[in-house]
Amino acid sequence: MTEIAFETRSVSKFFPGVKALQNVSIQMRSGSIHALLGENGAGKSTLIKLITGVYRPDEGQLFAGAQEVHFNRPHDAIAAGVGVVHQERNLIPRFSVAENMAMGQTTIDPLKPIDFRRLNELAEPWLDMLGLSIDPAIQVSRLSVAQMQMVEIAKALSQRTRVLLLDEPTASLTPTESQALFDVLHRLRADGVSMMFVSHKLEEVQEICDTVSVLRDGVNAGENIPMRDLQRKDLIRLMIGRDETIPEARRRQASAQSVALELRDLSTSFGHRNVSLDVRRGEIVGLYGLIGAGRTELAKTIMGLGALTGGEILRDGAPVTITSPTDALHRHRIGYVSENRKDEGLILDHSVLENAGITIWRRSANRLGWLSRSGVRMRTVPFLDRLAVKTPSLHQKVGNLSGGNQQKIAMAKWLAAGVDVLIVDEPTVGIDVKSKAYLHQLLRELADDGTAVLLITSDLPEMISLADRILVMDEFILKGAVANTRDYKAMSQSVMEHIHHSTDELRQAQAASA
Amino acid sequence: MTRNLFQSDWATPMLVALTIGLLISLFNPAFLATFNLQVLLEAVSINVLIALSQMVIIAIGQMNLSVGALGGLAAVVFAGLMEVFGLPPALAGALALGVGLAGGLFNGVLIGMTGISAFVITLATLSIFKGLNLAITQAQPFYEIPDAVKSFGNETLFGPFPIILVPAAVIVVLMVVFFNRIPVGRWLLAVGGNAHSAELSGISITRTVIVAHCLSGVLAASAGILLVARLQLGQPTIGDDWLIMSFAAPIIGGAILSGGHVSTVATVFGVLIVAQITQALVLFHIDPFFVQVVLGLMILAAVGANQLRDLRLQRAPQE
Repeated sequence: MTEIAFETRSVSKFFPGVKALQNVSIQMRSGSIHALLGENGAGKSTLIKLITGVYRPDEGQLFAGAQEVHFNRPHDAIAAGVGVVHQERNLIPRFSVAENMAMGQTTIDPLKPIDFRRLNELAEPWLDMLGLSIDPAIQVSRLSVAQMQMVEIAKALSQRTRVLLLDEPTASLTPTESQALFDVLHRLRADGVSMMFVSHKLEEVQEICDTVSVLRDGVNAGENIPMRDLQRKDLIRLMIGRDETIPEARRRQASAQSVALELRDLSTSFGHRNVSLDVRRGEIVGLYGLIGAGRTELAKTIMGLGALTGGEILRDGAPVTITSPTDALHRHRIGYVSENRKDEGLILDHSVLENAGITIWRRSANRLGWLSRSGVRMRTVPFLDRLAVKTPSLHQKVGNLSGGNQQKIAMAKWLAAGVDVLIVDEPTVGIDVKSKAYLHQLLRELADDGTAVLLITSDLPEMISLADRILVMDEFILKGAVANTRDYKAMSQSVMEHIHHSTDELRQAQAASA
Repeated sequence: MTRNLFQSDWATPMLVALTIGLLISLFNPAFLATFNLQVLLEAVSINVLIALSQMVIIAIGQMNLSVGALGGLAAVVFAGLMEVFGLPPALAGALALGVGLAGGLFNGVLIGMTGISAFVITLATLSIFKGLNLAITQAQPFYEIPDAVKSFGNETLFGPFPIILVPAAVIVVLMVVFFNRIPVGRWLLAVGGNAHSAELSGISITRTVIVAHCLSGVLAASAGILLVARLQLGQPTIGDDWLIMSFAAPIIGGAILSGGHVSTVATVFGVLIVAQITQALVLFHIDPFFVQVVLGLMILAAVGANQLRDLRLQRAPQE
């Protein structure tokens, strides 16, 4: 085997109330592509931030080659030859390709005029090396997403990067563009660059990676395993398989209840085809799938944020048209707890009370349209208490609270709104065990009180402990339903079969058409 | 690389400015009279500096509400030093620029160090600078301005070209070079364009913010000094009406308020457009108070045009 280019030895990172990473060891070898897998909240992004100098490990060591390194800031990592191409673009849109690539060079006299012609000359060989026919003088904002990504790789290489991290590089690329990217990565591998490839698309990972590490709940679930020893189902097992007991929950009998929300042959502009499902009052229906399966997009469509191209949505048996989240909440009494609580679920700069009360401002305003503070308090405080939100006061900024407490507040605001249908998207990602248990208990109580709950989660144990029925989605299509027997082993087996089966079919179809 | 003239940032503002000039002179040939052009160019010389002092802050994606208060403070310091202490104009001018630099440094350090929004900080310093101004002047103008300064502010080189056009033009050229060629100038645009990325590339955001505000202060002070020379007195009210103008010209010139994109040349044409319209209202005997209304409408029109352009850029097929 080739030499190790970068290594983490038993690194751990703790945040208040959460162990984000524990004793994680990975080895990246020169001339090799290492895959990093894991579901949301497994600790992938924390690990990347440790390797790129954004965070410092609380325990453990980092080695670049044989030498131990300490990164205090991102620039230290760059200086040590570690580069990263992030999911979000990190280029200055109005600057030229060449100038973007030159940024970050430390040996620049701040007052000496820039020689753009020279920058272009310097950029050219790196662009050529990646096989890019881009004019280095062109503005980055005129490039396609795929080209920007290539420019970021070129930039990293021009900074003498020997260890390159790629964080979901294909998330917004077309298949052809992805293939072009893989060609480049293969060439870099031949040149001895060590790469880490983070992706949720297992086919890609199998195609281009040599070794793989899997994170699950912040610990190594698989450490530096050669890819050729693994099949897709092994990867899925490593990502979601768990030996833990599922708490026994009382069975609900919801079949007698009326259907609160039904989707009939729904097709959407996101790419869903003929999705049919129903959720009864007092029932928790789970929607399982790997990331990118189209679950969040389905929720957004129900909330009026996506366009229907076919089929219909029925609420209490009557067809409805939902045009916006406001419409969904006030007219149809459907609530949505977003997976992305920081950007979509909460206003971090506002107080606990303001966040929890936001959904009921309309209804708690008195006849003159005035908002009475005591009115809002009366309606929200019981829910905040019930969720055991830990906050010094109701006026504390939500941004200052822990992830678990933030999620409780995001949930409380929908409870206060008194919705009949609640869609919950990844409710416990990144929060501590105790808060998780509270949230689970709460969802059960809600269902017992007659709320119809559609639960989206990638956490299979959570799904099995909460859901009455589990629907499996893959590639924007519902693949089938699994009755919940609470037997984890059997459940995970049949869920995996649904997903695995679908991709096999797809492959066969592709092979047939090719 | 040959760039099409009409693709450049300033082509549209230039065409608009020329069209407006042409229209006005068609309806009223007096517009082209030497004296009229001189008044126009005097206004442009000073307003360009005001607009640039805001533009450097727009470049980093912030705003500076204190440009008028700081420029006014520098103006009364300039006039006061000459009247009360009898300092020679050059020394008084240098010290007044120093006041602008110090005020800008104060803004920049507060914003850069605390991370509090520039809007709030400069709102507070606006009040501080204006208060200092009134404390120095007791709200009375300084009348004793040396003749040399008066003639500097009111005589022409030749034809309609005022002397004060020279410092303004020099500063414009320096700013063009600064934003296009000098690393520090590029850092301003980088921080405004994508602060996170700039920081990852090793650019200090704090330092860049401080530099921008210092520059803004010096530009505001230079506008104040030129205005004292032109008005021939140190008015304590100098700067009170700069704010809208300071934003209007860069915006008309296509600057993006969230930062990262400004054009010095387009801003100059923005100033020219505003000055021409202001003068047209006078030539056509329209109530001068209407200028404010027109200025507001022009800002709205410019923002709307920018929005349209961005939408079209987004929809355009990418190469």
